[in-house]
Amino acid sequence: MSGVINFTFDGRALTAKPGQTLAAALLGNGIKLVGRSFKYHRPRGILSAGVEEPNALVTVGEGGRMEPNTRATDLFVYEGLVAISQNRWPSLRFDAGAVLQLVARALPAGFYYKTFFGPPRLWLFYEKFIRRAAGLGPAPTEVDPDRYATRAAFCDVLVVGSGPAGLIAARDAVRAGKKVMLVEQDAVIAPSLLCDPQTIEGKPGHTWADEIAAEVRSSGGRVLTRTSASGLWDDNFICLSEKLVEPGQVPEHGLTQRYWHVRAAEVVLATGAIERPLTFANNDLPGVMLSQAVRTYTNRFGVVPGKRVVIAATNDDAYRTAAALRQAGAEVVVLDSRTAPAGQDSGFEVHNRAAPLMANGGKQGVTGLIALIDGAERTFACDLIAMAGGFTPVVHLHMQAGGKLDWDAAAQAFVPGAAPHNVRTVGLAAQPQPAETLGASGNPKAAFVDFQNDVTVADLDLAWREGYRSAEHLKRYTTLGMATDQGKTSNMTALDRIARREGIAVPEAGLTTFRPPYTPVSMGALAGASMGEHALPMRRPALHAVHAARDPIWFDAGYWKRVRTYPQGSETLAQSGLREARAVRTSAGLCDVSTLAKFAVQGPDAVQFLERVCATTVGKLAVGRGRYTFMLREDGLVFDDGTVWRLEANRYLLTSSTGGASRMATWLSYVRSHLCADLKVSVVCVQEHYAAIAVAGPKSPGIMAALTGAEAPRHMSVVHTEIAGLPVLLLAASFSGERAFEVHFDASHAEAGWQAIETEVQAVGGAPYGIEAMELLRIEKGHLVVGPDIDGRLTAQELGMGKMLNTAGGYIGEACLQRPDLADPMRKQLVGVEAIDGGAIPEGAMLVREMATPAEGHVTGSGLRVIEGGSIALAHLRGGQGRHGEVLYAHSPTRKVTAKVRVRSPHFYDPAGERYRD
Amino acid sequence: MTELRIEPLERALLHVLELWGDPKRAAKQIAKALGHDLPGAGRAAGDVMRLSPTTWLVAGDVAAIKAVLGDSGALTPVGGGYVRARLSGSKWRSLLMEGGLFNAEAPEFAADCVATTLIEHVTVTLRVESAAACLAYFPASHAADLLHFWQVSAGGLPQ
Repeated sequence: MSGVINFTFDGRALTAKPGQTLAAALLGNGIKLVGRSFKYHRPRGILSAGVEEPNALVTVGEGGRMEPNTRATDLFVYEGLVAISQNRWPSLRFDAGAVLQLVARALPAGFYYKTFFGPPRLWLFYEKFIRRAAGLGPAPTEVDPDRYATRAAFCDVLVVGSGPAGLIAARDAVRAGKKVMLVEQDAVIAPSLLCDPQTIEGKPGHTWADEIAAEVRSSGGRVLTRTSASGLWDDNFICLSEKLVEPGQVPEHGLTQRYWHVRAAEVVLATGAIERPLTFANNDLPGVMLSQAVRTYTNRFGVVPGKRVVIAATNDDAYRTAAALRQAGAEVVVLDSRTAPAGQDSGFEVHNRAAPLMANGGKQGVTGLIALIDGAERTFACDLIAMAGGFTPVVHLHMQAGGKLDWDAAAQAFVPGAAPHNVRTVGLAAQPQPAETLGASGNPKAAFVDFQNDVTVADLDLAWREGYRSAEHLKRYTTLGMATDQGKTSNMTALDRIARREGIAVPEAGLTTFRPPYTPVSMGALAGASMGEHALPMRRPALHAVHAARDPIWFDAGYWKRVRTYPQGSETLAQSGLREARAVRTSAGLCDVSTLAKFAVQGPDAVQFLERVCATTVGKLAVGRGRYTFMLREDGLVFDDGTVWRLEANRYLLTSSTGGASRMATWLSYVRSHLCADLKVSVVCVQEHYAAIAVAGPKSPGIMAALTGAEAPRHMSVVHTEIAGLPVLLLAASFSGERAFEVHFDASHAEAGWQAIETEVQAVGGAPYGIEAMELLRIEKGHLVVGPDIDGRLTAQELGMGKMLNTAGGYIGEACLQRPDLADPMRKQLVGVEAIDGGAIPEGAMLVREMATPAEGHVTGSGLRVIEGGSIALAHLRGGQGRHGEVLYAHSPTRKVTAKVRVRSPHFYDPAGERYRD
Repeated sequence: MTELRIEPLERALLHVLELWGDPKRAAKQIAKALGHDLPGAGRAAGDVMRLSPTTWLVAGDVAAIKAVLGDSGALTPVGGGYVRARLSGSKWRSLLMEGGLFNAEAPEFAADCVATTLIEHVTVTLRVESAAACLAYFPASHAADLLHFWQVSAGGLPQ
């Protein structure tokens, strides 16, 4: 590749070569200081060349595309990239927070637990400082302008990792006729072959790899790069996070990431291994890197991170790095911990039985290394220290699949053992290279185990002395293994330290849990298309466009978009709601009630089915008549209500609440399939087939007569007729206390139906009304809604509907009505309450006898007398039906509102129902 | 073949046919009237799609069924609540994987196969018309969002 890419780091204009990561580009520009540590603000550089990076975290992108805590080692430079270092002020070089290093002794493990205790009110004081200090990069404050997709995929074999072992597994599967998905978190297939070029099967490594990738694609499989397998769940359900562009980059077509939900018959994990650092004093200085990372920068990215290099090694892999560095012209010294003459013929300066003690240097990088060689200290001048501490297999997905781990003594590492699902691990993840562990050396207070959380060997020792022996406890006490890297480079080192302190083997020290995601996943990727106005499914009734044209105040009734009011001029919500309600009381109004649940119930046994579902009598309904009904759960408590209409001899329409529609559909299906499987009945949800318009008010019968050319049906009657030439089902039912009708159209005719009705309503001085007016009207009348009033905790008697129960019985829930506890007279019962001294009754308020006495009930819905004014409400009150006339307080301490109220009947308006009679 | 076309269709006359008692006996009568058997699980035949062991969705005129149905079942009009769209072109299967959880890319999901699944929280019934097209039925209340989702997704399908 050729060319130059321009980017900035902390405002400084720099250039990179195509294909370089930000880390490689920074090293190529001679920049070693990349960030500041979380706790002590110590200068930090680049440790690794992969997703395990704990130090080199930057904020990239601008505005809504800004992404904090991005690993410079996992970010490929693009033209115009803007990267900013983190956790420093005022600048990376001169960070005021570095003063904390002077008081590091006062900030030991468990500092928060030991310091911030005392009276709870002091937390309000501490919180300001803790919040300011907490976190790494700043969260973006602007809306992300890009899209994220969520996609399903199915395959026979999912191969995670495209190193040689993964590629061979993919090829084998393809040749066995399997559909394969091959995913690689890097930007290229087989990135390890760029680090360690080799010939495979007689071909250059990358030619060999590209040919296999092509074979996977041509077989109908899929190859995804920049894709991380973030988690594995039951039945081989794997989530993949695919970056379509780099963090902060402007996507060409607006799509920035795709989150895959994959079901795979088999999962092959070729996830490789992560190199372990060594633990010595100042091992966190810029210029101390992992050995393989040094090799990667040298061989893959063409950047040699140092000219005088000391490699501290416990295994043979270090010598490959030494060779790469020498090839690139660097001076190399190898400090090998082993006594075996592994490096004897390497041609390098090798010191065996050697261990690093302390790195010298500062924020601009290391200048030397003090080592212990055969018991004697020796100082090596250097500008780069490479650590080859062995390898930790990446077993995260194996463990999430419920797998076991075995201990590989030669590698001093956990390797995948048995896996319960069809998951297998291949390559270095299964067979890591042999290595020995060195343990910590040098000053334990400056020897870092977890670089990201500034956890030192001394912190681990302190926690151990304080009794934190479990790996899980130790993690939480010291924060080891937390945050963005999740301890990828630190956990094994920490376990080794604990084991040494305990005098036990590492496998006995225990492990922490390998939770998803393996690497951080953008919140946007998890949300997918469910953002902004699409955050939740939105259901629009058939008349949505008609309402939207009036610019109403909307109300989210579950997923439904309903109209709350249609304000006129500068009307407030309350003013417009009251105006609309008064129009209904005095003239007429029309309201979209299409969202009501509706079920067509047909068949010779329809009535038997309905008398199981409904707790009221249905069998006695004449054709053309309807009635109010309610439904009980099997425990005898009322959970929904509605109306039932007999359209023909064996054909009924059952309505129920909007909010409970899905629940009712499920319930009816259950009853039909399991409790009434033998009945000859069909039950079909027709909620959306019919659009329904309520016409309410004293002038509504005249409106109906004008629209249909016939006398309006009497209350609780139903007729088939026509309006504006459209067939309709006309139900005479009221939820307002006035004469009212529900006109049910085929939903595809809804708009024409609305126009025709509205014309007639307006002709008598009426107007459309929304939920706000409906609430005022129904509360005044004492009609109940499912949710606040019918909340599934009261019986029919307690709701004042006991007389409506079917005396013949046979309905669901009947048996449980005999439970003795339901006869307790001090259970809550529905009542009305009215304000005595004026003022509003707060909805949801507690009902109390005196301030600070226990709550005896609560307000379920509050409103006004529509014409006369005055606050009224419905409420649930212990023993309420016997407490009419009692004075209580409706008290809302959270809103600091209290109203003095009198208990009474819930029917404030026309209790005799005279207004329903023509 | 164009890559992908999303085409909302005119509202159709739709009925749910539910059989009770001895569905096999009734099914024979209906098969005679339709000229073909009522489709089995996951299948469609003619204008009929099976929804469950005792229910089918019937498009178009149901007079023939009504004539023989008698007391064996019921027909319920539901067309007002459904929107239909035809997805056609070489990428219709790929589109259905967006926000979905059903394997629409499986070759077994071929012409006259039917599946009811969830796409972006919406219940969608799919009927494969041919290798190049599929009909989708979904609730009218979700139609605006689902069609918008498909239009947006169509621009970003993976290769």
